[in-house]
Amino acid sequence: MILALTRRIFAGIVTLLLVYTATFVMVVSIPGNPFQSGDRNMPREAQQALRARYHMDNNWTFYAEYLTGAIHLDFGPAFTYSDWTCNQIIASSLPVSMLLGLLAILIALLVGLPLGVLGAVHRDNPIDFLGLFIVILGISIPTFVTGTAALTLFCVYLKWFPVGGWGTLRHLPLPALTLSLPFIAYIARLTRGSMIDTLHSDFIRTARAKGLAERTVIWKHALRVAFLPVLSYLGPATAQAMTGSFVVEKVFGVPGLGQHFVNAALNRDAGLILATVLVFSAVLIALNLLVDLLYSVIDPRIRGAL
Amino acid sequence: MIRNLFVICVALCLALLGFFSLTHREPRADFTYVNPSGIHTLDPARMSWLQDFRVALNLWEGLTTWDPQTTKPIGAAAYFPPEISDDGLVYTFHIRSDAYWSNGDPVTSHDFVRGWRRAIEPGTSADYAFLITDHIAGAAQYVQWRQETVRTMSALRSKEQNDAMDSAIRACANQLPKRFNRVGLQTPDDKTLVVHLKTPCPYFLDLTAFATFLPIHRSIERLQLRYLGTPLTREGLIAFDPQWTKPDFHHKGYNGLVTNGPYMLGDWSFKQRARLVVNPYFREADHIRCRTIDMLEYENVSASIMAYEAGDVDFLTDLNVPYKHELVRLAQTGRRTDLKLCKVLATQFLNFNCQSDTVGGAKNPFKDPRVRKAFTLATDRNRIVHHVLASGDRIAHSFVPPDVIAGYTPPQGLGYDVDRAQSLLRQAGYPSGDALGTVELLVTAHSVRLGEALAGMWQRDLGVRVELRVQESKTFAQNKAIRNFMIARGNWYADYNDPTTFLDCLATANGNNDSGYSNPRYDKMLADARTESDPQRRAEILRKAEALIVKTDCPILPVSHSSELIAIKPYVKGLYPNPRLWFPFRSVSVER
Amino acid sequence: MITVTLALAATLALRRSHPVRWTLTIASIALLGLLTLAALATIPWTLSMMNVQQLDDAVRHAPSAAPVLSLETLTHADDSPSIVTRALHDVSSWMGHDDLGRSVLFRLLPAVVISLGIGFAAAGIAVVIGVLFGAIAALTGGLTDRLMMRLVDVLYSLPYVLTVILLKIALTKPLTALLGGESAIANLVILLVAISGVSWLTMARVVRGQVLSLKEQPFVEAARAAGAGWTHILRRHIVPNLVGPVTVYAALVVPQAIMQEAFLSFLGIGVQPPTPSLGRLASDGVDAVNTFVGYWWLIVFPCAALVLILAALNFIGDTLRDAVDPRAKSVMM
Repeated sequence: MILALTRRIFAGIVTLLLVYTATFVMVVSIPGNPFQSGDRNMPREAQQALRARYHMDNNWTFYAEYLTGAIHLDFGPAFTYSDWTCNQIIASSLPVSMLLGLLAILIALLVGLPLGVLGAVHRDNPIDFLGLFIVILGISIPTFVTGTAALTLFCVYLKWFPVGGWGTLRHLPLPALTLSLPFIAYIARLTRGSMIDTLHSDFIRTARAKGLAERTVIWKHALRVAFLPVLSYLGPATAQAMTGSFVVEKVFGVPGLGQHFVNAALNRDAGLILATVLVFSAVLIALNLLVDLLYSVIDPRIRGAL
Repeated sequence: MIRNLFVICVALCLALLGFFSLTHREPRADFTYVNPSGIHTLDPARMSWLQDFRVALNLWEGLTTWDPQTTKPIGAAAYFPPEISDDGLVYTFHIRSDAYWSNGDPVTSHDFVRGWRRAIEPGTSADYAFLITDHIAGAAQYVQWRQETVRTMSALRSKEQNDAMDSAIRACANQLPKRFNRVGLQTPDDKTLVVHLKTPCPYFLDLTAFATFLPIHRSIERLQLRYLGTPLTREGLIAFDPQWTKPDFHHKGYNGLVTNGPYMLGDWSFKQRARLVVNPYFREADHIRCRTIDMLEYENVSASIMAYEAGDVDFLTDLNVPYKHELVRLAQTGRRTDLKLCKVLATQFLNFNCQSDTVGGAKNPFKDPRVRKAFTLATDRNRIVHHVLASGDRIAHSFVPPDVIAGYTPPQGLGYDVDRAQSLLRQAGYPSGDALGTVELLVTAHSVRLGEALAGMWQRDLGVRVELRVQESKTFAQNKAIRNFMIARGNWYADYNDPTTFLDCLATANGNNDSGYSNPRYDKMLADARTESDPQRRAEILRKAEALIVKTDCPILPVSHSSELIAIKPYVKGLYPNPRLWFPFRSVSVER
Repeated sequence: MITVTLALAATLALRRSHPVRWTLTIASIALLGLLTLAALATIPWTLSMMNVQQLDDAVRHAPSAAPVLSLETLTHADDSPSIVTRALHDVSSWMGHDDLGRSVLFRLLPAVVISLGIGFAAAGIAVVIGVLFGAIAALTGGLTDRLMMRLVDVLYSLPYVLTVILLKIALTKPLTALLGGESAIANLVILLVAISGVSWLTMARVVRGQVLSLKEQPFVEAARAAGAGWTHILRRHIVPNLVGPVTVYAALVVPQAIMQEAFLSFLGIGVQPPTPSLGRLASDGVDAVNTFVGYWWLIVFPCAALVLILAALNFIGDTLRDAVDPRAKSVMM
């Protein structure tokens, strides 16, 4: 088990290195000057001085130096927002994105699991179709539409929450809910399919034959097994929620890392792009590893296959 | 059991993340306003965004500042007016005896020299260094010498001659004081600053209020990057740790940002908020009504408007939203008295490529001034400004906005005359619009509406096939810089209160001359104006120069003079809309 | 032949066992078909009208249900403009006008075509690349297989939207040069390449899994023993078994691609104006939301079209997945 774990970690590191190289190649081939902003042109000497200062005049040295820095968890300065280092930017915005993502996934689990179970139990009933309706809407309405609608309704007209921004507990519910909608849909669907399968299996028939209450059968025994596919989905889903919340962050003005990445890409801020990509990938790889670990812990049949 | 453990873990995670990301909110500041694009940098020498200037000029104080209502220069850290020699070349400033930094140190003339020197050093890469090098005697030569050093170092570095590099650094460091002494800045004592100008500059006191001319406290020297004990870096640059602008950076003996203006920086979180608190050592600190000011960053302007409507925000600037016309209508009809339209010293225009023969393989028809004039005559600016843009902007017939600079009336440019336009095209050798080929118009996403309207207009009136190329701002800037365009949208904000801030852009080889226009007659007129001391004659020379631009050669097509829409809550007093968008917060009072 | 038979059989089975789902699926297909047909059929008119700006009289006008070919229109037969032009003018205000005086209706219809085009093209590219990649990896095995799958893992480790954004920005310059200068088409192609650049990953994994498991099947061994070549085995045994999963995942890529395009347009890097697409129209509408004046027609029509199309596509994909592989535990990524 330890051996398998070490092997996975090593594979993860290799993947990160490849991710770094791939992103680096893309970043240096993008045209655009990261140091200029606004309508005035930057004097050529000023540009050259800046490139010299940030060691960007030679791609190979930049690659090596940045990598060395990254290994020591020092991602260097941000080019567009020159008063800040990438470390500071990531340190201030990564917890925000992670909190938002984690909350969204939790809400998705709390709402999606029961929805899926109900759909499976009352299969082809009106309840199932109501669930199906919610699910299909959940993955068909773009997040910026639901987000803006929620912002206008709950913040401007009903004044229940502050209008976007971040900093207090009251800023949390609306963005988290908006972000969770597509995940509710996926989890509900997955649970339903998996539940239908499980309910037909032998051990459930045994449980029923033993005379256990239907509610216990469903929620205690069947769900535990049916949860496994959902668990394997949770890894990439949590990573996606934590790192893919650009749109929600833009609509609600949440200072998360996703928004910084989009701005960095648009501003050609090489240092920040590389930093965010590395951080995001590391989070993704770590979460996948964590989920696989949990999987093996919960399902002893799979422990060996790690 | 495992499930309980899992739940506890998740709860712990949530708590930790919440602790780190949900920053503690102190009570609401006395005055809250929104900065939509965020602070790009707080380094006064490096900044070029208006929003950054606004913060910096409230944190620091220069030799002069602008009156909040008339925007004329008035005294600030120095007594006003300074002594000016008869030939207008020597200014002697006396720093006030009651000017102090936020840590109690008195403001000295050395602080100003330090700040001005930083602004021209290549290591700072300041956009506005030209304001100093163009006017102060000896500055341009000093900068040239410094840039030679940097180039030498760069060449040596690429050849990896480390010993030669080290000796070059030491030699340069030895020469630094001598070379800088040749610049026309003298400090006979701690409270006197003597400035020698190259040529007389009637708007110099207007310039000294600019952020580039702000003083810098000597504590910054603790964060200077040194190599081999010299004040230079290994690349030959004079540079400082960028963290010096942080209020809470306490390393290497540095105690955080020190400023000399009415406010000091209390707190600054990236892309979220900056909090300004009253500088207790400021001479009028007791008279300042707003003791704390919050600057919030809302990237989504609509959301900031919603926050304003909800009462969370007291002041908004630059309301640029798709429904701006509706807000402008509310402002102009007086239905909403808190919405105000400010005439701004800015012009939106189109750059014609006056230099290249071909663009991307196709022939560039705009090298011919007759074609440029034809396109200018075929643009119905009335319709564009009032129907398409509908954002309260004024129609532009000249490059310099009228009615804003005292003593200068710009000439009236070309109007809307389709017949004349078509005949000009025929004269230039294009019997119909098709003969021009496909004309490309370069815009960014912000000005798509303008581009689409123009394309439609020219297609209809001239029969020209116009292709709109919408690009991201970085790609757009790149293409403009290498002159890979036929027509590109341009925008220019005045840097100071004089027509030359606009007209200099079209001088030959000026860094901001995107169109590549080059006319020796025009350059000569600008040079004459520079040495002309009679203000009326000078204004006449500049007017003739501008007439050359807008009536004859047409290297640019002025479209509109910008108006900015701002929102001030009725209970906020002390903010006066003005063309510079200069809002000093020390005179603001909030009576909720 | 076999594929068609299987498909028909599956369809009939579905009708018998789940009548409501069957009705809904047919309704979705009908809706999609009708919309697409309407959009495609009106292309000659909408393409010419989609960028026409009526700056004088129709800026930001609400919809007006002007009756087409009313008695008045018909009786002015001798005057210019022609009947068609006048009819078009009337129809153009059925969904209102945007802030450049362009008809929302005449922008919505081509937008449907463009968005569906992006969706299906992305699915097509994903199928081609994914199947080839996965099949080659599975069949060659060994080091090549491991390397190819490592590449897929690396690309999987990049967050989806990040990769799309980076790809789009990085590919703009070379692809523009390749396609002979910037134009609306070039922009669309670049967007397409960026979106499909990440959609093929799941397909590759699924195909590889399928081919691997099929390779070990007894009937393949038997065929090899009987002396059949690999081409024959591919054609008769492997490809028909791939059709099911590939169709399902392809059907799920289409709405995913359309949704990604909508997100990118909202962030400002999707389809470039003046080209309309459902995502662009929807984000423009959302941007115009404010508390001062309502422009409901700018939001409602594009968003309704987008949601309906996506819902129909998702539903069809879901039904397909249920029919082909109800135990599919892998994820709609």
